[in-house]
Amino acid sequence: MRRKDPFFYYGGKLLSFLFSVFLLSLAAFYVARLAPGDPLVSYYGDRAEKMTVQERAQAESRLGLDQPIHVQYVRWLENALRGDFGISYKYKTDVRSVISARLPNTLLLGGVGFLLIFAGALALGAVCAWHEGTRLDRFLCRAGTIVSCIPEFWLALVLILVFAVRLRWLPSSGAYAIGGGGFIDRAVHLILPLTVTVAGHLWYYAYMIRNKLLEEVRADYVLLAKSIGLSRRAVLFRHCLRGVLPAYLSLMAISVPHILGGTYIVEMVFSYPGIGTLSYESARYQDYNLLMLLCIMSGGLVILCNILAQIVSERIDPRMRSEEPPEVTG
Amino acid sequence: MDERFVLVGPRTPVLPPSRRKKWYEGKPLLSMALLAVILLGCLGCELFMPKDPVYMDLFHAVQAPDSEFWFGTDTMGRDIFSMIWYGGRASLLIGALATAISTALAVLFGAVSGLAPGWLDGLLMRLTEIFLSIPSLLLIILLQAVLGKASVASLSLVIGVTGWTGMAKVVCSEVRRLRSSEYVLAAKCMGAGFFHVLGRHLAPNFFSSIMFMVVMNVRSAIAAESTLSFMGLGLPLEIISWGSMLSLAEKALLSGAWWIILIPGAFLVATLLCVTNIGNWLRGEGDRRESNL
Repeated sequence: MRRKDPFFYYGGKLLSFLFSVFLLSLAAFYVARLAPGDPLVSYYGDRAEKMTVQERAQAESRLGLDQPIHVQYVRWLENALRGDFGISYKYKTDVRSVISARLPNTLLLGGVGFLLIFAGALALGAVCAWHEGTRLDRFLCRAGTIVSCIPEFWLALVLILVFAVRLRWLPSSGAYAIGGGGFIDRAVHLILPLTVTVAGHLWYYAYMIRNKLLEEVRADYVLLAKSIGLSRRAVLFRHCLRGVLPAYLSLMAISVPHILGGTYIVEMVFSYPGIGTLSYESARYQDYNLLMLLCIMSGGLVILCNILAQIVSERIDPRMRSEEPPEVTG
Repeated sequence: MDERFVLVGPRTPVLPPSRRKKWYEGKPLLSMALLAVILLGCLGCELFMPKDPVYMDLFHAVQAPDSEFWFGTDTMGRDIFSMIWYGGRASLLIGALATAISTALAVLFGAVSGLAPGWLDGLLMRLTEIFLSIPSLLLIILLQAVLGKASVASLSLVIGVTGWTGMAKVVCSEVRRLRSSEYVLAAKCMGAGFFHVLGRHLAPNFFSSIMFMVVMNVRSAIAAESTLSFMGLGLPLEIISWGSMLSLAEKALLSGAWWIILIPGAFLVATLLCVTNIGNWLRGEGDRRESNL
C-alpha cells in the first residue's frame, strides 16, 4: 500500500519528522526538569545559595519556574513556535546567539572530519578489497582493528602528550590562538582534534565497505563482466562499488549525528569551543533554555538523518524495496 | 600475462591433500591468553600486589617507574602497579554487568516488538529512535542524579540502559523471521506463554546471531566506563578503575607524567583489543567462496 505519489511520500516523511521532534522536545523537557539540580545556580552563580526563601520564590516566578511542568512546557512551545527560545541562564543572552557563536567551530571540525571519513573509508575499503587476502589487506585489517579499539579520549591524551607537551609542535587546546584566528592558525589547531575524530570512526566504515565489496565480487554478474572483457579495475570500481554505494550512503546518513556527537569528547579534551562543550555545560548546570534548543537541534538532526537514510534506501536503490520481507501474520 | 586471454570463472585452487584443521587454527589464541592473564590478575590481585592500592603515600607522589614502584605513582601517591590490577576489577565488572543489563533489555524489547502486530512494531521502533535521539549525555547525567553517588552498580545500570537499542533491532528482525515457524505455532497452540516461547524456541535460534553483539557490548561498556569516569561523570577518584585512574590525566599532562596516562590506557586498550578479536572470531568469516574478480 505504498503511495507512489511523491507528494504523499515526502509529505508523510515530513509529518513523521515533525511529530518525532515534538515528542523529543516533550521528553527532553520533562527529563531536564525532573533531573535534580538548581537552575538558579546557573543564573545567579554562587549567590543563589545565599538567597532567602522569599528572594528564591521571586526569582523562580520571574523565570517561570514556579509553574507546574506542563504549563511551563506549553509556554515554552508557544514561544518556540514563534522562534523565541528564551535566554540562556548562564550567558544572559538569547540562546540562539550563544549557539551561533559556537556552531561554526563544531561544523568545521565535524564537517571536515565527516568528509575525510567518508572519502577515506571508501578508499581504504576499496584498497582492501582490491588486494583481498594479501599481506597488505591483512596488515590494514589488523591496524584498523587496533586503532578502532583505542578510546577517543585516550588517543587525544596521548597525542597531546607527544605532540604538544613533549615535541611542542602543535597547540594542545582551543580553536585559535589568542589574537590569532587566521587560516593557518585555525588549521594548526584543527590537526589534533581532526586526527582523533577521523581515527575513531574511519575503520568501522572502511571495514563495512570492504566486507560489502567482498560479497559483491562473488556475485555472478562479475563473471559476466569479466567474460565480456572488462578489466579488473573497471569491474571493481564501475560495477561492484556502485552496488555497494546505496547501502553506504544510507549508513553514512545515519552516521552524521554519530560523528558530530563523537566530537563531544574530542571538544572536551582539547577545550575546543564548540557545541559539545556547550551541551555538557548546559546539561550539567541546568541551563534549561539552552539545553532545550541544543537537544532539539541534535535530536532533530538524528531523526532527520534517519529519515534521509530511509529515503535513500527506498528511493535510490530499487533492490531495497523488493527485499522487504512480505508481512507474515500468524 | 597477455591481457587478451584472461581465464574467467571459478578457479579451483590447488589444495594440499585434505589436511585436518588443527584445533587451534583460526582461533584468536593470543587474545584469549592475554585476556585470561588480565582477568586472572585482576581477580587474584591480593596475592601479588606489592602495595595497598588505596593508600595515599604523599611523600612519593608523581614518581616515575623505578624498582620500588614498578609503574610509578599517581598524583596522590598511590602505586599504579597495584591500582591497575585492583582497578581492573571495577572496569571488567562494569563491562559484564552493563552487558547483562543491555542484553536482557534488548532481548525483551526485541521479542515483544517482533511478536507484536505491524503497527505496534512500527510504533515501538519509532519510540526507540526518539529514545536514541535524546543526547545520551543528558540521560546519563539524569540517571546519575537519580541514582545518587556514582558506584559500580549505578554506572553499569546507566551504561546498560543507554546501550541496548542496536541489539534490540537485530533480535526483533530475527524474531520476525522465526515467529511463523511451525514449532512456534505448535507451542502457541498448546498454550505456551510468552516467556516459554521466548526462552525455549526463540532465544536458542537467535542466540548465535547476537553473540557477536553481546561481546562487542562488553567492549563498548568498558570503553564507556573509562570515558565517563575520565569526564568526571563516572566513578569518583576514590573508587579505583581504569577510567578513574585516567581522570588524573589532565594534571599528569601539566607535569609531563607520562606513566599516569600511558600505563592504565595500555591495559585498557589491550583488553578492548582482546575482546574485539574474540568478538570478530565469533562473528565468523562470511562468504568463503573464491572471488570472481
